[in-house]
Amino acid sequence: MNIIVCVKQVLDPEIPPAKFKIDPETKQVIAPSGVPPVISVYDERAVEAACRLKDKHKGKITVISIGSEKASDVIKHAISMGADDGFVLNDAAFENLDSFGTAYVLGKAIQKIGGYDLILCGRQAADWGAGQVGSILAEILGIPVVTLACDIEAVDQNVRVKRIVNDGYEVVEAPMPSLVTVSSEIGLPRLPAGMRLMIARKKQIPVWKAQDIGAEASQLDKGNAHTEITSLTVPTRKTECEIVTGDTLSDAAVNLVSKLAKLI
Amino acid sequence: MSPVSATYWGISGYVIFWVMFIIAFGLFAQRLYFLFRLMALGKQENRFDRIGERIKNMLFEVVSQRCSLKSVTGRDLAGLGHAFMFWGFSFFLISYVVFIGLAEGFGLYPYIMGGTLETIYSSILDIAGLFVIIAIVWAAIRRYVVRPERLEISVEAGVIMIMVFSLMALHFCIEGFGLAGSGDTHDWPPVGAAFARFLSGAGISKSTLIAVSRGTWWLHYALILGFMVYIPRSKHLHVLASGVNILFKPLASKVVLEPIPLEAPEGSVTFGVSKIQDFTWKDLLDLYACAVCGRCHVNCPAQLSGKSLSPREVIHNLKEHLLEEGPGLLAGKAEEFSENQAKNMIGDVVTEDEIWACTTCGACQEVCPVNIEHVRKIIELRQNLVLVQNKMPESAQLMLRNMQTRGNPWAGAQSLRLRGDWTNDMGLKILGECENVNTLFWVGCTGALIERNVEATLSLTRVLKAAEVDFCVLGEAESCCGDPARRAGYEFQFQILAEENIEVFKSYGIKEIITSCPHCYNTIKNEYPMYGGDFKVVHYTELLADLIRQGRLKLTNELNSLLTYHDPCYLSRYNGVYLEPRRVLQTIPKAKLKEMERSKSTTFCCGGGGGHMWIEEQHGTTKINHVRMDEVIKTGAETVVTSCPYCLQMLEEGIEQKGVKDSLKAKDLVEVVEAAMKQS
Amino acid sequence: MDNHKGVLVCGEIAEGQLAPITIELLGVGRKLADELGEELSILLMGSKSGGLGQEAIAYGADNVYIAEESILDAYNSDAYTQAAANLCKKIVPSIMLFGHTDIGCDLSPRLNGRLGGGLAMECMELSIDPATKLLVSTRPVFGGNAHATMVSKSARPQMATMRAKTVPPAERNDARQGKVIPVEDKLDASAIKVRVVERIKEEVEGVKLEDAEVVVAGGRGMGTAQNFGMLRELAHVLGGAVGGTRVACDEGWAPATLQIGQSGKVVSPKLYIAVGLSGAMAHIAGCLGSKCIVAINKDKEANIFNVAHFGIVGDWKEVLPAMTAKFKELKAG
Repeated sequence: MNIIVCVKQVLDPEIPPAKFKIDPETKQVIAPSGVPPVISVYDERAVEAACRLKDKHKGKITVISIGSEKASDVIKHAISMGADDGFVLNDAAFENLDSFGTAYVLGKAIQKIGGYDLILCGRQAADWGAGQVGSILAEILGIPVVTLACDIEAVDQNVRVKRIVNDGYEVVEAPMPSLVTVSSEIGLPRLPAGMRLMIARKKQIPVWKAQDIGAEASQLDKGNAHTEITSLTVPTRKTECEIVTGDTLSDAAVNLVSKLAKLI
Repeated sequence: MSPVSATYWGISGYVIFWVMFIIAFGLFAQRLYFLFRLMALGKQENRFDRIGERIKNMLFEVVSQRCSLKSVTGRDLAGLGHAFMFWGFSFFLISYVVFIGLAEGFGLYPYIMGGTLETIYSSILDIAGLFVIIAIVWAAIRRYVVRPERLEISVEAGVIMIMVFSLMALHFCIEGFGLAGSGDTHDWPPVGAAFARFLSGAGISKSTLIAVSRGTWWLHYALILGFMVYIPRSKHLHVLASGVNILFKPLASKVVLEPIPLEAPEGSVTFGVSKIQDFTWKDLLDLYACAVCGRCHVNCPAQLSGKSLSPREVIHNLKEHLLEEGPGLLAGKAEEFSENQAKNMIGDVVTEDEIWACTTCGACQEVCPVNIEHVRKIIELRQNLVLVQNKMPESAQLMLRNMQTRGNPWAGAQSLRLRGDWTNDMGLKILGECENVNTLFWVGCTGALIERNVEATLSLTRVLKAAEVDFCVLGEAESCCGDPARRAGYEFQFQILAEENIEVFKSYGIKEIITSCPHCYNTIKNEYPMYGGDFKVVHYTELLADLIRQGRLKLTNELNSLLTYHDPCYLSRYNGVYLEPRRVLQTIPKAKLKEMERSKSTTFCCGGGGGHMWIEEQHGTTKINHVRMDEVIKTGAETVVTSCPYCLQMLEEGIEQKGVKDSLKAKDLVEVVEAAMKQS
Repeated sequence: MDNHKGVLVCGEIAEGQLAPITIELLGVGRKLADELGEELSILLMGSKSGGLGQEAIAYGADNVYIAEESILDAYNSDAYTQAAANLCKKIVPSIMLFGHTDIGCDLSPRLNGRLGGGLAMECMELSIDPATKLLVSTRPVFGGNAHATMVSKSARPQMATMRAKTVPPAERNDARQGKVIPVEDKLDASAIKVRVVERIKEEVEGVKLEDAEVVVAGGRGMGTAQNFGMLRELAHVLGGAVGGTRVACDEGWAPATLQIGQSGKVVSPKLYIAVGLSGAMAHIAGCLGSKCIVAINKDKEANIFNVAHFGIVGDWKEVLPAMTAKFKELKAG
């Protein structure tokens, strides 16, 4: 079973909220220095899902990521978890693409890799969180898509996906090749075991430019972008919080409850 | 008259003597060979370095009985009993070789017996025998009447006590009946002679006396041989193994963790330990050396707070497991190193709960009379769980994932700071932006990221600056030393961090490293050299003591307060740094220092070591920091001082939860020092 | 030149009625359509949708498109995409609105991929730029740490999914007039590749999280699944529901369906009690609508205190039992 996983390197979402800074001019986030970027949480779950399928059915996992040269770190992270190969898609033309542009570039790279049974993406990125790349990519490739997966099985020539819905879940089947987007409910990603950390560390990650995957400049032209960000702001919300105290914490709790009594 | 030179039922005594000896020795040697082969199932490990020093050390430890005397306290005098038993019995052992082996077996008695020398030695033996008997009776009362927590009722212990007691009793009988029979009426050896006088007065015929003496001699001989056969088949194997174990004890650091070889192809190396033969031969020798004395059991913080872990049981169960699986392993070895073990060692012999309850504080090793290395076995078992089985407590996994992706164990949401924040406005030299500084102040993750610990870090920087110490810091470029990963069994992550850090240190030409966290201290000082990083590492308490001695730091403000000092395990026990912090505190005018019962190298864990700052504490009867807090409270101190960021957090939590925050404060030593400095 | 006109709402039906989110969308859609001077349409799918035409008109729709094929009774990604795409080709809407629900999250990006529009998801605010007449969508990014506004200059339709409960529902006016138009085109069954095998409803004990007046939520600080039980006890006393942060749900202390925040549920109860959670923006995004937020956290610097009205700084293990006991007392008295 050949699986391709699309991953993205993002600003660590766990940085202290007070450290979050933006540049309203460029409409970009200013990453605090000294904080290494990480693999987007949902994408990491997608890698985990791929690894579970590989554990069961054997096969090969290839990971691709659009990003800076540093994106090789997230590819290596995926390899340390169990992926076999990976490529970084890095080109000046790939910067700040919208969802269509991103899906186009990923699609070109996937066509170059070829021979896939399943493509996995995170349900959305942990940064801009557009939540559409997977579905658009499936439309570009002309394959079925199942979103918000919390469990994936391969049954004969089909993927059987348990997906999250509002009041529970549903199980759907789609013929392979197909694309599945993975939600966090799939469970915690594994800790890279055995020698995998070391294997990943040594791995050379090839970088593909626009010409390597045959991406056409016209498709990457920002003027043709489907969506455009017009402003970026940090919402200011500061509530006066009354800290309730007491001789002991239990007393504080009792004092708090009396303040809340009228609410219930 | 020699018993062996006589003839019994037409058979020469010599024949009987040697046939008995050969049978017994054969059984003895067979067992030893078996045990040796079992031990050889273990992995390779080099413990033959500095052999001269090792031999000298072993002889000193054993002969002086420092091994058992070091743990003697007012409450537990058993070590003293052991020493008397050992010394006493040693005299007998020599006598067995000389008086029985040489004199009787080789017929040299005319040269050995009957002289003044024999009388003197026999007199010594008499006195030694009395000591041994007293020690035995005491031990029996302790074990079967007093029943201290650390000892278990065991049949083996009873058998051995009866054997030794019988040997002593028979010794006196041989002497008494022999002397009475020969009509010898000297005053020496005292006990034998007194007994002889009593027998002579009892009107027993001389021939009967001689016959009884001779009979008891043979019985005595048989018992000695029996003893030799029994010893390696019982827990008293420690009599033979402990000396050897002391010979091969770790010389450099307390807990020796061998790097996993990286160049080997995948599949050819085992990660950590999951089967008994995955341990090294030294680990298996440890099992033989254990006398099940239980000192580890009563000093283990996990055990004392009601967790399932008991180091005594871990070692004992592993030994039983080795003996049980051993024959199968030896038989299978010819064909294939097999999967023929019925039990899963992790799970059936040592449970996962036991493995994760350990704080790696090393209290067990400190009190172990025979130098068993418990901690690294636990860590090696963790390595297997983490690196192979992917099984660990959730909290451990979260921490390890943070270390792997973020390079520090404090996840974003638990920490409200970024690594370099604490350096803001401190006017510090940041490495990379300054030149010609080769002393680095390594802050550590906790000191840089956790609010309370940052206060101590800032305090230390101010003190160092006041003393005009020239140092730089890494600021936001600092990483984790790797300790939490290593203790939790995530060896490769540790290795990556170690290598990266060493490279950074070297690239900036760092020669000396000041640490504030004892865990960083231990790791950089004792473990980095194995990865090519040799730096002079000092803990800040050592540095402060030195600065005071040089007069560069003057503590003049009075501190009219009662203090107690909580020794961090990784500083005092692991590295022997416990005098320096006390010296610093004693320099403060009017500061009174009161010691807790467990202090210095036998300090008690705060509960935060071995990754337990992040790994959820298992449910026991209480929490480890509560146990320690009770000991702090007992001193009546107003301030508990420590010098480790984990300890500080755990103590403060303990104070909060025990509801004593009005009467007791926890402070980092440097905060106390800063308060005692003259404000300019 | 641009023949894209009108606002189309993609309706959802819950228990035979227009879903609350759909009524909210009709309200927003009406406003947008009025500002543009264009019509508001709605697409209703499934055999039960026939009777809801007048209902939708009463809530503000000018045109109601009814696709009654039984294959559309339950959500099927392929079938819905096809039905919606067919209608879009026919009526060429300028703006298309979806609920940010499991259906909207699946359907809108798929449809977008097919139509080549411009989509903004999880919007909190939608408006028309008076100068350009473009749809301006405001949505949270970076886990709620920032808000971005987006436009689609040329791509059509301009699409958005709207978070529940961010706007009031449309007002009902039964006198309103409109057209109910049945969709005649049949779906191409061969293009339906994804097949739903089963649907399982997870019954939640007690009050539904979204409807609860009191929500007790726990985070990383709870430490274990067992500790989470103490939250349930408090929620039970208050007749409320329990929720968790992403970490708590990832750890399995609470089921994933109880996750509050971005990529989880959005709640707006009267009283929100946040226990042992630091207040990551992604979580706060899900509870900010609460009338009163109470925070219990060891760390006085925790972000949750920035949005809370009341707080206790201390270990929840000591605070929670006392609170539960006191509330019990109040309720009994």
